[in-house]
Amino acid sequence: MQIVVQGLLTHYECQGSGKAILLLHGWADSLDTFKLLVAELSKSQKVISVDLPGFGQSQTPKSAWKLDNYSEFLKDFLDKLNILDIYCIIGHSNGGALAIRALVTEQITADKLVLIAASGVRNSDDLKRKALQAVTKTGKVMTFWLPVSSKQKLQKRLYGAIGSDMLIAPHMQETFRQIVRQDIQTDASSLAIPTLLIYGDQDKATPLKSIGQKLHTLIKYSRLEIIPNAAHFVHQTDSGQVNRLIAEFLK
Amino acid sequence: MKTVAVIFGGRSTEHDVSIVTALASIIKPLELTKQYKVEAIYIAKNGAWYWDEKLKDINLFSSGQIQDFLHKTQPTSVQFDGGMTLVKASGIAGRKTSRKIDVVFPAMHGTYGEDGSLMGLLRMAGVPFVGCDMDASVLAMDKVLAKQVAESSNIPVAKYECIYRDAFARKPADILRIVEKTLTYPLFVKPAHLGSSIGITRVTNVQELQNAIEVACHYDSKVIVEEEVANLIEVTLPILGNDQLKPALLEKPLTKPEDFFDFESKYMHGGKGGKKSGGKGTKGSQGYSELPAQLDAELYKKAEQTGLAVYRELGCNGIARIDMLIDNKTNIVYFNEVNPLPGGLYEHNWRAAGVSSVDLVQTLVRLAEERFQQQQQENTVFSTNYLQQF
Repeated sequence: MQIVVQGLLTHYECQGSGKAILLLHGWADSLDTFKLLVAELSKSQKVISVDLPGFGQSQTPKSAWKLDNYSEFLKDFLDKLNILDIYCIIGHSNGGALAIRALVTEQITADKLVLIAASGVRNSDDLKRKALQAVTKTGKVMTFWLPVSSKQKLQKRLYGAIGSDMLIAPHMQETFRQIVRQDIQTDASSLAIPTLLIYGDQDKATPLKSIGQKLHTLIKYSRLEIIPNAAHFVHQTDSGQVNRLIAEFLK
Repeated sequence: MKTVAVIFGGRSTEHDVSIVTALASIIKPLELTKQYKVEAIYIAKNGAWYWDEKLKDINLFSSGQIQDFLHKTQPTSVQFDGGMTLVKASGIAGRKTSRKIDVVFPAMHGTYGEDGSLMGLLRMAGVPFVGCDMDASVLAMDKVLAKQVAESSNIPVAKYECIYRDAFARKPADILRIVEKTLTYPLFVKPAHLGSSIGITRVTNVQELQNAIEVACHYDSKVIVEEEVANLIEVTLPILGNDQLKPALLEKPLTKPEDFFDFESKYMHGGKGGKKSGGKGTKGSQGYSELPAQLDAELYKKAEQTGLAVYRELGCNGIARIDMLIDNKTNIVYFNEVNPLPGGLYEHNWRAAGVSSVDLVQTLVRLAEERFQQQQQENTVFSTNYLQQF
């Protein structure tokens, strides 16, 4: 289904009936990431999932967005759909960081929050950040003499080597730069709703130790569930366990 | 050996569908005939034209390598020299390769291709081309105009309202009031010029109506809002011919009334629900459907006659597919819309009707040449002494 929000053609799905659950996907992902979760949740709840602007089948914003722009977008999106009460927000990766920011800025209110491999703790890995800055600064000099196609391939390798998602969605590079600058630790500490944190212990994109446990400490009413041998897309690889944890939390 | 140029891609929301239609349903069968030299002309999303043998390979597009290809390749030139000639740099000492085109086979869906734009260009060029001519294409690709023509010929159409983007932007409340006053929910909101169910929404209240008009206006400056037909049986009929018409089989998409065929179910997943219901379903490029539609003989005939009447009234040539809506209780057959270039030419339906893919493309090329010959006999120039006065 489509809707125009802030002038952007936006793709979303709305399934089931009951209390409203809002699903927010991560960077360079789409609402399809939650397919298994939606199938389960929509049996007893109204599940709204959206391709955030710039991803999936939704239009790309004309300028670089920060988490606050996305938060305002979510408010307008829900208003247009006439969805006034959200029972729970479930965010994966950057969708988790967005959920925290949207709640703290009161663009959305919800009774509960589920963060699956959420990101947003930005200063946890100084080495990676410094490497990213170095690559950004020197990358242009190193590749200026190459043809465009070779330049893009080399840049992709360099960014990939330091674990950056910068070039996963090339059309969103400026937005990516804005978002990785935004740290949500202060926001997380002011959250006051029951929060379930789910992390895989093999997650390299949002490591349990430096992000999951930190958020657990910061968020007052939080519970941390660790899925053994699971990586970043834990809601897909260990869907049964994740779905059970969420169902229990929503009761 | 005659040279047939297949033109596909284009600046349309149906760009990708066009690639599949061209490569799988047109170029391949044309080459199988061994009677034509087939040239692939790809129009990129920015409107540049490319001509190359490599463009016949679907892997170039499915792998995403097309971007690299476009980056490295010079767009082609088209020479209008009392016909149509393709010209491109050969890469050898600045020499150029050219190819005179005998027949053009447009394989473009939607805007700038199926809507009459390309047909106008080909008419100007003076080259025979497959499918509906410019005027029929213009009518067919405007859902409002097509319905107006059908209405004027007493062919039933569902009750509708036409909305223009500018008017809606200026006074949305007034437009919504008019629609609610004249039409009864549930309603369908559609961009007037787009096919493949893009931008179509079914609505049941004013909030949904407003959102849906906004979506449709995002795609098109003209929008049609129409009433849903009750007790719906949706059928479609591909037709072939210029003067002598040959209908294929009446086909019924296997969908629930509220779950009409959308772009994804048509082209991405092979049918809503993805399952055959009963033994008569068929999985074509257009998803699952009942082929032929299981209607009683009288109703089948009525729908077929309606389809043929619409084809004639709109002045279609070559090929078109007529979509109709039947009220199962009143047995009224409503004309819904016409598609001058059915995705994949609806070859699965033609095959079931006894026309192979090879026969289909051959017939279409023949019909194009016949129409062109007829047009050549029409006198469009005559001598005057007008200029001698100056």
